[in-house]
Amino acid sequence: MSEEVVQCHGVTRVYADDAVPVHALRGVDFAVHKGDWVSLAGPSGSGKSTLLHIIGGLDRPNDGSVSVDGEDLGGLSEAQLSDLRLRKIGFVFQAYNLIPVLTAVENVEFIMQLQGIGASERRERALGILDRLGLDDIGDRRPGELSGGQQQRVAVARAVVTDPVLLLADEPSANLDTATTKELLELLRNINENHGVTIVTATHDPMVMGYAKRPVNLRDGAIESDGSTADASPDA
Amino acid sequence: MKLRLLVQLGWRNLWRHKRRNGILLGGITFAIAAVVLANSFIRGMQVQMADNAVDLMNGHVKILAPGYLDDPSIAQSFEVAQDWRPDALEGITSDMVAGWASRVRVPAVIMSERETRGIQLVGIDPASENISFVGKLAIQGEGLADAADRRVIVGAGLAERIETQVGRRIVLITQGADGRNREAGYRVAGIYRSDTSSLEKIFVFTGRDTVQDLLETNVVTELSVRLTEERFSPPLLQRLANVFAGLDVMTWQQLDPTAAAMTAIIDVVILVYFFIMMGALSFGLVNSLVTAVMERTREMGMMRAIGMRPRSVLLQVVLESTLIMGAGIAGGVVIGVLAYLPIADGVDLAAFNEALSTFGLSNVLVPQLFAQDVILVVVLSLILGFVASASPAVRCMKMGPLEAMRR
Repeated sequence: MSEEVVQCHGVTRVYADDAVPVHALRGVDFAVHKGDWVSLAGPSGSGKSTLLHIIGGLDRPNDGSVSVDGEDLGGLSEAQLSDLRLRKIGFVFQAYNLIPVLTAVENVEFIMQLQGIGASERRERALGILDRLGLDDIGDRRPGELSGGQQQRVAVARAVVTDPVLLLADEPSANLDTATTKELLELLRNINENHGVTIVTATHDPMVMGYAKRPVNLRDGAIESDGSTADASPDA
Repeated sequence: MKLRLLVQLGWRNLWRHKRRNGILLGGITFAIAAVVLANSFIRGMQVQMADNAVDLMNGHVKILAPGYLDDPSIAQSFEVAQDWRPDALEGITSDMVAGWASRVRVPAVIMSERETRGIQLVGIDPASENISFVGKLAIQGEGLADAADRRVIVGAGLAERIETQVGRRIVLITQGADGRNREAGYRVAGIYRSDTSSLEKIFVFTGRDTVQDLLETNVVTELSVRLTEERFSPPLLQRLANVFAGLDVMTWQQLDPTAAAMTAIIDVVILVYFFIMMGALSFGLVNSLVTAVMERTREMGMMRAIGMRPRSVLLQVVLESTLIMGAGIAGGVVIGVLAYLPIADGVDLAAFNEALSTFGLSNVLVPQLFAQDVILVVVLSLILGFVASASPAVRCMKMGPLEAMRR
C-alpha cells in the first residue's frame, strides 16, 4: 500500500442554517494515496464538493477527522489552515480562479510570493511551468484577455508550480467546451503521471471521471462505490 | 516581500475603477486643500487676535498696582526706576525681550471749544511704544517727540466728535491722587487712525512726564513687557513677581480673557472644522471601499482559499484605502499651499471692519500656514482613512474563503 496523502475518518457535515438540517456528509471514511487521481462524482447534493472542501481545509466537519500529508486539520486555526493550503495544496476552481489585475505569469507567481520565494527564482519557475504547459505565449496577458480554457490552464500552472502534495479541482470543466475540457484533462493527466502530483476532482462531468484513475461515487452524503477505472479514459 | 505584493495588488485595484476612484481622489484632494487653506485663515485670525491683545498696550506681561483694574486712577500706581530693564533680571536675556514701556493711564475728560467727552488719557514715552499699537499708528500731523512732549494726539473718531483738528487746543481734566481735579490746555499735534475704530474714540496720548506733571507725581500706572516669543512668558512672570512683590503681575491672557478664550477656542475650531470636512468625506470613502470589497468578495475568497492569510486580506483593503488617501493628501496639501502663497501677505477685509473689530481683528487678515497644522491634517487624515477602511476590511477578513467564493 502506497503512502496516504489524505485520510478521512467518519467525516460528517451537517448544514443547520435552514429550518431543516441538511446532512451533506454522513460519516465518510476515505483515503487518497500518493500519485492517485480520485474523481469524486455524484448528483447534486451528494456531498462531493463538501468532501473536497473539507479535504482542502476550506470547510470543517461537524464530526470525524481529516488529515492531509499527516497533518490533522481539526486542530488548526484559520491562519494555520491558510498556511497549510499555501504549502501543501493546489486549487483549481470552477470560476474566479485568477486575480484580474495580475498577468498570467504574475498569477502563477502569486503563491510563490506568498511563500516568500525570491523574485528571480519565482519568475524562472513561473515561466518554466507556463512553458511546459504550452502557455508561454500568454504570460503577459491579464485574465480578461484569456479564453476560459486558457484561464483554467493558467490556474493549473499556478496550482502546481510550488509542487504541492495534493491538487484539488472543483468542477474544473464546468465552464469549458469539450475540446478545451479535453486539453485541460490531458494537462492534469500529464501532471499526475509524469510529475506524480496527487489529484482529487469533484465533478459531474463523465469526461473528467473517465480520466481519473479512481472514481468515487457519492450519494446522499455517503460513498456509494469506490473503484479503479484507470483504463476508462475516452482515449483508451 | 508580501507587503510589496499587497501594495502592487492595491495599486492595480485602484486603477481598476478609474472613474470611481478618480472622483473619490478628487474629493479627498479638494477637502484636504480646503482644510489646509481654511486652517491658514483660522490660524491667521488666532495670531492676529493674540497680537492685537498684546499690542493693546498689554505686552506679554504687565505690572499694575493692586486694584487698578477695578479703579483705574492715579491712586493705584507705583514707582519704576528710570534705568529699570527686564533683561537685567536673572535668567532673562536681551534676545527674549522685544521691549518694555511704562505709562500713566488715567480716566479724563477732553474738552474742545464745542464738545466734551470722557476718554482714557495715556502718558507715554513714544520711543518705547514700538511694542504696542501706539508705535504703529498712522498719524495725520505730527507724532509725539518724547516723554516730555506737552502736545496731544487724538483719534480721528474722537476728533470728529469733539470737532477739533491738528493745531487746535483742547483741555484735559483728570483727578489727582489727592482727589482734586487737575486741568491743563494742550495743543493737538496729530490725529491718528487705527485699524480698530473704537480705539480712536477712547485713547488720547501725550508725554508720560506731561501727565506726571499734571498730576504732580512721578509714579506710573502700568509697565508692559513684550517678549520675542510667547514661551518666554512664564520665566519672566516669575522673576517680575519676585521683583515687584505686592503688585499685580499679569499676562495678556489674564488682562484680556475674552481674546485669550477666543484664541484658545480656535485650536478646537481647527479640529472641529477638520472633522466636519473629512468626516463627510469619510462616508464617501467607506462607501467606495465597501463597494470595492463587495465586488471582489469572490476574488478575495479565492485568494484566501489558495493560501492568503486573513490578516493579509485585511491589510490589502487597508493599503488600498491608505494609497488613495495618501495620494489625496499629497495632492490636497500641494494645492492648499499653492492657494495660500498668493495671499500669504494678507487679505484686505475692510468691508467687514465692524464685525472684525468686534473680534479684535484688523482689516487686513494675514493667513498663517504652520507646518504643525499641515502635519496634523496629514496624520489625522491617514488615521481617518485607516478607520474608514477598518469596517469593510474586518468584514472581509472574518468571512471564510468558501463563504466568500459562494457570494
